[in-house]
Amino acid sequence: MEILTGLLHGFAVAFEPSNLLWCFVGVFLGTVVGILPGLGPPATIAMLLPLTFSMNPAGAIIMLAGIYYGAKYGGSTTSILMNVPGESASVVTCIDGYQMAKKGRAGAALGIAAIASFVAGTVGVLGLMLVAPPLAKFALSFSSPEYFALMSLGLALVVLLAGRSIVKALLAALVGLWIASVGTDLFSTTSRFTFGRMELLSGIDFVVVAIGVFALGEVFSNMETREDATLIPMPKGIRNLLPTWQDMKDSRFAFLNGSVVGFLVGTLPGGGSTIASFLSYGLEKAVSRRKDQFGTGVIEGVAAPEGANNSETGGALVPLLTLGIPGSGTTAILLAALVLWGFKPGPLFIPEHPDLFWGLVASMYIGNVMLLVLNLPLVPLFAQVLRTPVYMLYPLILGVSMVGVYSASGSMFDLTLLMVFGLLGYLMRKLDYPAAPLILGLALGSGMERALRQSLMMSQGSLSILVSRPISAVMLALALLVLMIPLFGKFNAWRLRALEA
Amino acid sequence: MMVRYAVFVLAAALAAPAGALAQAYKPSRTVELVVHTGPGGGSDVLGRALSVMAEREKLLPVRMVVVNKPGGNSAVAAAYLSEKRGDPNTLGLFTGVWLQTPLVSPEAKVTLKDLTPIARLVLEPAVIAVKADAPYKTLAEFIAAAKKNPGALKQSGGSNTSRDNVVRQLLQKSTGARWVFISFPGGGERIAALIGGHVDIMVIEPEEAGEHIRAGNMRVLAQISEHRLPGYPNVPTLKEAGFDVPVVPQVRGMVAPPGIPKVNVAYWEDFCRRLTRTPSWQKYIADNQFEDGYQNAADLTAFYEEFTGRMRDILKDAGVKILR
Repeated sequence: MEILTGLLHGFAVAFEPSNLLWCFVGVFLGTVVGILPGLGPPATIAMLLPLTFSMNPAGAIIMLAGIYYGAKYGGSTTSILMNVPGESASVVTCIDGYQMAKKGRAGAALGIAAIASFVAGTVGVLGLMLVAPPLAKFALSFSSPEYFALMSLGLALVVLLAGRSIVKALLAALVGLWIASVGTDLFSTTSRFTFGRMELLSGIDFVVVAIGVFALGEVFSNMETREDATLIPMPKGIRNLLPTWQDMKDSRFAFLNGSVVGFLVGTLPGGGSTIASFLSYGLEKAVSRRKDQFGTGVIEGVAAPEGANNSETGGALVPLLTLGIPGSGTTAILLAALVLWGFKPGPLFIPEHPDLFWGLVASMYIGNVMLLVLNLPLVPLFAQVLRTPVYMLYPLILGVSMVGVYSASGSMFDLTLLMVFGLLGYLMRKLDYPAAPLILGLALGSGMERALRQSLMMSQGSLSILVSRPISAVMLALALLVLMIPLFGKFNAWRLRALEA
Repeated sequence: MMVRYAVFVLAAALAAPAGALAQAYKPSRTVELVVHTGPGGGSDVLGRALSVMAEREKLLPVRMVVVNKPGGNSAVAAAYLSEKRGDPNTLGLFTGVWLQTPLVSPEAKVTLKDLTPIARLVLEPAVIAVKADAPYKTLAEFIAAAKKNPGALKQSGGSNTSRDNVVRQLLQKSTGARWVFISFPGGGERIAALIGGHVDIMVIEPEEAGEHIRAGNMRVLAQISEHRLPGYPNVPTLKEAGFDVPVVPQVRGMVAPPGIPKVNVAYWEDFCRRLTRTPSWQKYIADNQFEDGYQNAADLTAFYEEFTGRMRDILKDAGVKILR
């Protein structure tokens, strides 16, 4: 009842014409920065922050949140069309999304990304509205041992991301873990693998590696093919530009999976949308009946991570609004914004500022509808990018990648790194090493190392802390189970052969 | 100490009637304010707030924009400023990290001494907090518990060169107690670890702690400042609580590239002084429970020398390898 009156009140706030306008401005800007690789929501929000000082706080938070979740919609666009991840949360989308585009199904992939984003984004807001306070309490029971177990579960997914060879996948994951260890060690302030370069002191940016390995690797390996300018097949007719009914049916579970995984990981202060998208992709593949086709362009492989990274937004607002604890870069700057407007974000924020909280919740329902209406018609338009002849498309990808990386950090050194990782991506392709495990290792490496060291410091060096806490024990057991999946497959194949003989 | 400060203030006052000198130079184009964090980091937010205040209070004839040079724990931003030698339209916002990183990282070659100090702006005090249902009512009780069970109690904080750890080192050295310091990269995770009951104590900004205290999640044992903060009239300072250890402030201030003419330094010094007297700034300081830490360039240099010397000793005690 309380929720209903709150929500009605929220809609009254959100439907005020000026707030509707700010909501639209936010989601529109969000879509744009999402599409542009490099420039992410934290940078955009920080740049707009000074403008919000003269706005009414409800309108301002509605707009800034709009940028945050709007960017998750746009992020998939370049992932699918060019293999260039638009945001770190859209890296996983490259895996199947780009393959779909190569098969002429770019429209379906873009469409399902928008629909999954809408479904999961809405579920995320529902979660924020219904279970925020109790869930925040639960999230607090997560600490280093649990994070270590969660990351182990994530890393175990490597066996699912492997191509033909598990060994090559493990090697690639190890390289990813190594890259993650570059930089200043938080615990001892020792420089690791910096080779005397101060640019490496704070580590290697995840997005630089992802763009290098995925996008530039693709460009370089296409440079050597001497075929004449072949076009990536373009679907004919408007009907083929959007997901079919069959696609929607195939993505049913992915919608649910993405929504739930994304939201739950989002509520953890040490989670993040990159981990959420990897986990939901892994889960999707683990339970799929067509596991072997993942990585070749299956629609669930796009729907699950795109759903997860949208639902994560709702989740990430839970600790921010109920406890005043930011879990990610974007929520940290939203927190700074609230303080600058004169609020005190913390456990009493929601009861003391119901206008702001419910207005924001209501605006997120409206914003998600706006985003769907905004993004679906753009799908056929964006799909036209692929009409570009290959001899122009690849230089275009190269350009977009470089501008994206430079706009994020303004550092020439990062451009050099981009080239290095592009070459690495090319070599890996030539030698048939899968790229996804490397990215996974990189995404999880530093968090996992940190969580393990924190756990051991908590327990004065005893490893038992990892299994004596129930949540962590369960997740570690799940990780073991995932690691055994290929063994089951092998066992099955062997059994079938034995039966046949 | 005080005598030295007084001499510096006197010298500065005699040498330059600031107003007259300030007339000689004016920024001619948009001023870049370099910060070492990405968008949303502490310095970034301060920089953006500062540029809005400068505009609102009409303190500058040109606009001031924030330029993010993240990376290298401030080494990238410091190096960027050092490369801008003689550039009159570039400034930087420094924090304590700029002092500490060159001490411990061989790659970070530019120290604050290699740049031109302009002014110190902010001192950020802190409070020592425990979970609301913790058995310790005073810092002395916590120390006693830590003594009884060495290494069993835990503190959440930032890196091992952060102020959090420095305070721990100072307290450990003066009392002989010992507890574990666990590094978390984000402030949110540090607080979550405390109110989730995974660690026992933390050093936290007064503003952040305020809301958790009001909600009954946290209790403050002592404050790390020279005088009691307005928001914490009933909490003893470290000294009042019986721990005579140096107060380690988190500092923020302004620097310029090397090779800047004296008139420019005087102009920016004056800018900072005028800025810190505006109502917008006073409100910003009060809202965040910071302390007004204005110091002119000469005092800042003296502060830097003293602070770096003290940090060297403390970090050495903490087992950190000191390079410079």
